[in-house]
Amino acid sequence: MKRKLLSLALSAGLVASSLTSLAGCGKATGEIKIWVAENVVEFTKTQVAAFQQANPEYSGYTIIVEPVGEGDAATNMVTDVEAGADIYGFPQDQLSRLVAAQAITPIGEADSAWVAEQNDAGAVGAAKVGDVTYAYPITSDNGYFLYYDSSVISDPSTLEGIVADCEKAGKSFYMEINSGWYQPAFFFGDNGCTLTYDTDSTGAFTACNSNYASDAGVVALKNIIALHKSPAFVNGSSISNATNVGAIVDGTWDSGAAKDLFGDNYAAAKLPTVGGVQLSGFGGFKLLGVKPQTDKDRLEACKAIAKFLSSAEVQLARYDEVGWGPSNLTAQASDKVSSDAALSALGQQLAFTIPQGQYPSDYWSLATALGDSILAGDYDNASDAELLQVLQDFQDTCNSYAQ
Amino acid sequence: MDMNRTKRNVNAFGMYFTRHLRLVGNAIKHSTIAAKISMVIFGFAHFLRLQFLRGVALLAGEVGLLYVIFGFGWQYLSKMGTLGTSMGGYNPDGTISYGDNSFFILLYGILAVLAIFALIVLWCINIVDNYNCEKKLSEGRTLPRNIDDWRNLFDKNFAQTILTIPVLGIFVFTVIPIIFMICIAFTNYDKDHTPPAALFTWVGLENFKKIFDFGGMGLGSTFFRVLGWTLIWALFATFLNYFLGMAVAILINRKGIKFKRLWRTILVTTIAVPQIVSLLYIGKLFAADGLINLFLKNQGLITNPIPFWTNANYARVLIIIINLWVGIPYMMLIATGLLLNIPADLYESARIDGASAFQMFRKITLPYMMFVTGPFLLTSYIGNLNNFNVIYLLNSGQPKSMSLVNGAGSTDLLVTWLYTVTVTNNDYKTAAVIGIMVFLVTSVISLIVYGMLPSIKNEEGFQ
Amino acid sequence: MMSRKQKIGNALAYIVLVIISFIWLFPFVGLVLQSFRSYKLEPGGMVGYLVPKHFSLDSYIYLFSGESQFPKWYMNTMIIALCVSAGVTVISICVAYALSRFRFPGRQFLMKTWLVLGMFPGFLTMICLYFLLKIMGLTQAGAIPGLILVGVASSGMSYYVSKGYFDTIPLSLDEAARIDGASRAQIMFHMILPLSKPVIIYTALVAFMGPWCDYIFASYIAFGHSASYNVAIALRNWVWTNDYQGFFTRFCAAGIIVAVPVTVLFMFLQKYYVEGITGGAVKG
Repeated sequence: MKRKLLSLALSAGLVASSLTSLAGCGKATGEIKIWVAENVVEFTKTQVAAFQQANPEYSGYTIIVEPVGEGDAATNMVTDVEAGADIYGFPQDQLSRLVAAQAITPIGEADSAWVAEQNDAGAVGAAKVGDVTYAYPITSDNGYFLYYDSSVISDPSTLEGIVADCEKAGKSFYMEINSGWYQPAFFFGDNGCTLTYDTDSTGAFTACNSNYASDAGVVALKNIIALHKSPAFVNGSSISNATNVGAIVDGTWDSGAAKDLFGDNYAAAKLPTVGGVQLSGFGGFKLLGVKPQTDKDRLEACKAIAKFLSSAEVQLARYDEVGWGPSNLTAQASDKVSSDAALSALGQQLAFTIPQGQYPSDYWSLATALGDSILAGDYDNASDAELLQVLQDFQDTCNSYAQ
Repeated sequence: MDMNRTKRNVNAFGMYFTRHLRLVGNAIKHSTIAAKISMVIFGFAHFLRLQFLRGVALLAGEVGLLYVIFGFGWQYLSKMGTLGTSMGGYNPDGTISYGDNSFFILLYGILAVLAIFALIVLWCINIVDNYNCEKKLSEGRTLPRNIDDWRNLFDKNFAQTILTIPVLGIFVFTVIPIIFMICIAFTNYDKDHTPPAALFTWVGLENFKKIFDFGGMGLGSTFFRVLGWTLIWALFATFLNYFLGMAVAILINRKGIKFKRLWRTILVTTIAVPQIVSLLYIGKLFAADGLINLFLKNQGLITNPIPFWTNANYARVLIIIINLWVGIPYMMLIATGLLLNIPADLYESARIDGASAFQMFRKITLPYMMFVTGPFLLTSYIGNLNNFNVIYLLNSGQPKSMSLVNGAGSTDLLVTWLYTVTVTNNDYKTAAVIGIMVFLVTSVISLIVYGMLPSIKNEEGFQ
Repeated sequence: MMSRKQKIGNALAYIVLVIISFIWLFPFVGLVLQSFRSYKLEPGGMVGYLVPKHFSLDSYIYLFSGESQFPKWYMNTMIIALCVSAGVTVISICVAYALSRFRFPGRQFLMKTWLVLGMFPGFLTMICLYFLLKIMGLTQAGAIPGLILVGVASSGMSYYVSKGYFDTIPLSLDEAARIDGASRAQIMFHMILPLSKPVIIYTALVAFMGPWCDYIFASYIAFGHSASYNVAIALRNWVWTNDYQGFFTRFCAAGIIVAVPVTVLFMFLQKYYVEGITGGAVKG
């Protein structure tokens, strides 16, 4: 009954609003809710206000900006699309989940072309599931690299050297090897392994491409085990939670905390090599999504706002404000961005990473399980054959997640 | 013996049911015209007899239930068999049209079924009461007046009066959600079948089969391993806290110890800090780069950090120990209250007989405590089976293990695992099955223990 | 006169007590020290040392200077805790009283069902409760009344301790009063409840403490509407999401602030807490 009443009221409102727009003196009204990370709430509010000023046709909407963490945003959207935000920021690995739950709308041909033309290739790929573009990229900085204390680490180019320096100084080297996000750094790229999933345009996983169960995989696994055995190694990736950092593998979101911690000794570099081979990893992106709408005007308004918030000038302004690395090609080319220490370290690392596609949620817990087994010392004395078997099991389980 | 009792219960229930059915039948047979009208308009006959209080109550009940059934229940009830058939989709202009929503069909459908059931019960009450009243009138007795009905609410029927709101509250906010989740166990509601994007439907016992599947990807071995650790954890957490808490209380109560209040206050301050803060801090103390490992390292006692959280066995023991930190203050308070109440002359005479301190504890203190705190022990055992905070805040069930499926970790309790399964993996169907199994295990244990408690057997002992 | 053996025993007991106090106070003192660390002059995250290098009130100033909505969240939690405490006390005392003093058909059934219902893991029903509350408009902006409603509604199931207490009050009191013509309601309100102050305070105190730690269900119901958050949600966000770097000292400070009302209540009501839960023994 309540829902009926609601839809009645909605359609009445619709009729009223279309009547007024026919009369030519009214604008579409309503509430548009935006969810972004806490540190950009004020920034987003200012930008949106500027947008409404510049585009009076959308000034009838009341726009509300709420701080909702990017991981939480996707979880909330999947739980209850109706109550979720109309526009929300999220890390790209959540995309297939959002698409499968119809919590994100395809942005249409015109905007797809605009996204493809404005952003770097990785970001464009990240906004797609199958062949359909679902989101507006806002950053290209969701990857990881090395922060280090230049008074502790003399040469950040090899993992062996970093670990030795840390051991000598009584400091620790941090890397979250029990995370499905950091762990592949040892496997991907020149290390000779891959693990990717194919999806169709509805967000379902159709195939898994993996060759972890190989000699190259065993070498990678042994490298991780060797790292875990070092007294200087600590599993972790958050500078705020680390207490004894000599060097840490982390992302741009921690650059402020890193500068605070290291002070004058703050330095950043691409990931080191291990056994002469460059560590790889994921290059990731942050996206803005628009919730599917039942009303055409509203959909257009939401898309226009999302497009604006992902445009070159806003991306650049966002970099100035909070240091997020832009995905927009024009913004990337600006002097400020190209001279940023953390971003240029990330840029160097990017040459060795693979763009992060979509992974089923089970993959992340499986990777954590593998990492936890290493941390627990289960494989400390394992033979090559045993390690190969571990990777074979891992790969088989990964395959089973694709239908 | 138990079999017989169950049989007797079933028989008793059957008799109760048939007796009431007969009553209703009898009432229908002997109904007056006014009573017949009130089969449609509840309370009609009551109004004619000037029993306004009952009449209003019956009519209000009918109107409310009919509103639920026809207001929104009906359209969903008709789709309960399939849980929806029409899929939504995107229109050419980019907007979306929604089809059926399986979730709402199931939820409103359940509400409608319950409303229909309640309406039938109300209908029976209505006509039986009519019959009783008419019978009284024909026998020349007087009917209770409105004011009598009203007074009875605070006297004869006082228990029912004060239980109405609690029973309703529990029904709406506990029973209905549980019925809903039990239904979910028989559907395929998971991340691939999430309304409004997709429909879910009935799949019978499919999900239950998985829990007894002990193959590589089967849930079976994971479920029983997590269950095993849950039971062990609850046992340790309950009894270690109990005995050590008691020991601390005895220690503080010892003759000759000064500043008793100070010692107690020190322990109690820890209760006040929210667990989300204190447990996170304690968890970090034991991390690879936490204060304890750093201290040991700086003293040169260790080279590699002690794997408190990464080694499954270390983590399990550590969690039980940290839980002592959480639980002992509570137990100490309770035990203090109890110890002060044990008659002192019992100890005095025991001492004269030459009993040692340990003997006195075993023969006097312990049996007394066990008798009085039996129910408390039961509730705290159940509480520990479902103790979410300690595990989740300390290490979130980690370390995970390659030999466990569905995101379970080595220190996960069933409830923390359920959290992962529902909130992280959105695998509601599996969660519902696990939930039902947890429910069966815990309720069987507690009902058995409940029956054995001296304080329950002897409920009226004190009165 | 104290015997030599007793003296040694006491000395040992003191040593054990000092060790225990150290263990119990250590995390507490650690948290207090962290909360006074300046997040402007030192890293605001976790650090490897106990004593801050720069003592300051920065974290506390942050909480109340309007930079965050903390005062609002604190008030939200306070309102929830007070209402839940009042509601739970009324409901669970009513239930316990009815189950203890009256014998009516279905009583055993109710008692056992409720005991068992309490064992159904809460997370399962969370999504269903969310949508039930949503129908009533009690999510997001209405999350606070929603949380109060859910907190109070099911409290009848925790009748256990109060029933045990009422069981120890002799029935002969009731019978005497009934002979004098008192109704059952009058007996409850004028005679038994005044005798039951400890268990009433115990129930209220326990219920009051609950909402300060509820971060999962509360954030589910608030669903991204930050004005409806409680303190625990904010605390969880500050340490578990990447958006907040270096919030650890503020997290500790907020924890200390939350501890204040609970500590004060506990200090004054400790006696009732003990008597409430051990009531059976007191009279037995």
